[in-house]
Amino acid sequence: MAQIIEARAVSKRFRQHRRFPGFLGALKTLVTAEYTEIEAVTDVSFAIAQGEAVGYLGPNGAGKSTMIKMMTGILVPSAGDLTVLGRVPHRERQANAREIGVVFGQRSQLWWDLPVRDSFELHREIYGIPRPRFDENLKSLSSLLDLEPFLERAVRQLSLGQRMRAEIVMALLHDPKILFLDEPTIGLDVVAKDAVRKFLSRVNRERGTTIILTTHDLQDIEEICPRLIMVDHSRLIFDGETAKLRTALGSARRLMLEFAADPGPLELKSARLTSDDGLRKHYLLERDDISLVHVLDEIGDTTALKDISIEEPNIEEVIRTFYQRRNAELPPR
Amino acid sequence: MLRTLRILPRLALMYLRSQLEYRGAFWIDRVAQVITYASSFAVIWILADRFGTIAGWNWSELALLFSFHLLGYSLGACMSFTQMRQLEEAVRLGTLDTLLTKPISPWAYMVFSGLNPGYTGHALLGIVMMGWALSIVAVPWSIGWVAYFLASLISAAMVTGAVLTMIGATALIWTRSNHLYSLFFGFWELSRYPINIFPTAIQATMLSFVPLGFMAAVPVAVLLGKPVPILGDWAGPAALLAGPFFVALAMWQWRYALDRYQGAGG
Repeated sequence: MAQIIEARAVSKRFRQHRRFPGFLGALKTLVTAEYTEIEAVTDVSFAIAQGEAVGYLGPNGAGKSTMIKMMTGILVPSAGDLTVLGRVPHRERQANAREIGVVFGQRSQLWWDLPVRDSFELHREIYGIPRPRFDENLKSLSSLLDLEPFLERAVRQLSLGQRMRAEIVMALLHDPKILFLDEPTIGLDVVAKDAVRKFLSRVNRERGTTIILTTHDLQDIEEICPRLIMVDHSRLIFDGETAKLRTALGSARRLMLEFAADPGPLELKSARLTSDDGLRKHYLLERDDISLVHVLDEIGDTTALKDISIEEPNIEEVIRTFYQRRNAELPPR
Repeated sequence: MLRTLRILPRLALMYLRSQLEYRGAFWIDRVAQVITYASSFAVIWILADRFGTIAGWNWSELALLFSFHLLGYSLGACMSFTQMRQLEEAVRLGTLDTLLTKPISPWAYMVFSGLNPGYTGHALLGIVMMGWALSIVAVPWSIGWVAYFLASLISAAMVTGAVLTMIGATALIWTRSNHLYSLFFGFWELSRYPINIFPTAIQATMLSFVPLGFMAAVPVAVLLGKPVPILGDWAGPAALLAGPFFVALAMWQWRYALDRYQGAGG
């Protein structure tokens, strides 16, 4: 499949005026011209093919939004090569803009005091969308997201969920090849989140629109993105199938053994005991090559065993475990 | 380019419609502006009435200067002031980012989507006062004089727009810019008076780094045949060239700043 986004060793450094702590430091800050460089993105490389749905994940300040801003042409990379649809985004910003759609979860592109339809009509003119195509897209997208009842309503009168649905519809009216979404479900209730996720999955599947999504809500990634790019401290730490993240980050599966009668303390070589409630014992399977067969083999006599289960950790748990371990390993600052 | 030109009137109309959603605020703002300018006008009238002339300018000449300043400012500021003052917030809140993802010049989008109808009040006041001043002031009427009058008025509007844009564009690099507007309006107050009443240092500043002398004092002095300090005989062409020169400088600075735009984080 053709690669439509290619990042090769892309870095972005921000130059910031150096600030000194305390009141005297604040005075010193006023009269000094010292600068520090903040690494927002360091040496990040990846390629994204047409039709993929990719989640771009990382904690606050990891460089997710900066990467999106470079791919959309807002920011200029400090180093490396970045191409989107064969173009260098910041050099051909307007040509790039014609073929992408962008949704910022926390910044509206709609005209606050005017009906939603007015913003859509302006979008049609800016992107030069032929009237029949515009009408067709507006009808189908609005109906999929149940937006039709709100088209004539002023944006300020919409709920956050309705507004986000309008933002997403607007970003798709010109049939973009790539849709960038920066935290599209932030602040939405469960029902609105579900509607947005289902819609984005459908757009990716049926229209073939490539989706690049940053989010803090890992369920967004699980439901929309088969592929995950994870960044931490400005560097890429994982790029692969979302389902394989657990293996890559080394998170353990959970094992639960339930007995009809308390067998007493039961230590296993294949699993590490984490809690013992007598009848019910919980373990962590820290090695991937250990299966249920190995566990049963080690227990030997299973007549007292009433139930057994192995649970895969969910993506949230995998990532939380990773960050907790990472923070513990970091030298004190 | 053609598409952009087609979109601009639509942007201006959408802004006007959104402003008219708040009718009360719209009319209170207009009345406040008329009162503000009328009081400034009254101060100059009192000064002229009390002292006869100010630096060789009589009351009707000062009225022409004041109206030229007001009209040139309103034409330039309607294309720049409100929009560029909002740029700081657009950078801080990240709304500028959304403009940068559209296939349109962010400057054109900002300027036309904020084309302030409030300046029609300034412009009308300026035109009425200018008509009255021209009816009593002794001017050497000719086609050349009228052509110079109109060209220098456009140039004055360009200087205003360029300086306000350059101030706003600093927000693209420094995130904050609005504090610089108080500096602008300090000199703007001075630029409503004949430039020869000020010390040489202020005259030099207003003809170079803060070129607000070209908003009215220089062109009106040329039109009335009065001497212009520092520039002398070059004052005539300088008043015409100042507008295009500072607009070109503002365009260059806008592109420079946009290339170095870092956002405000997040």
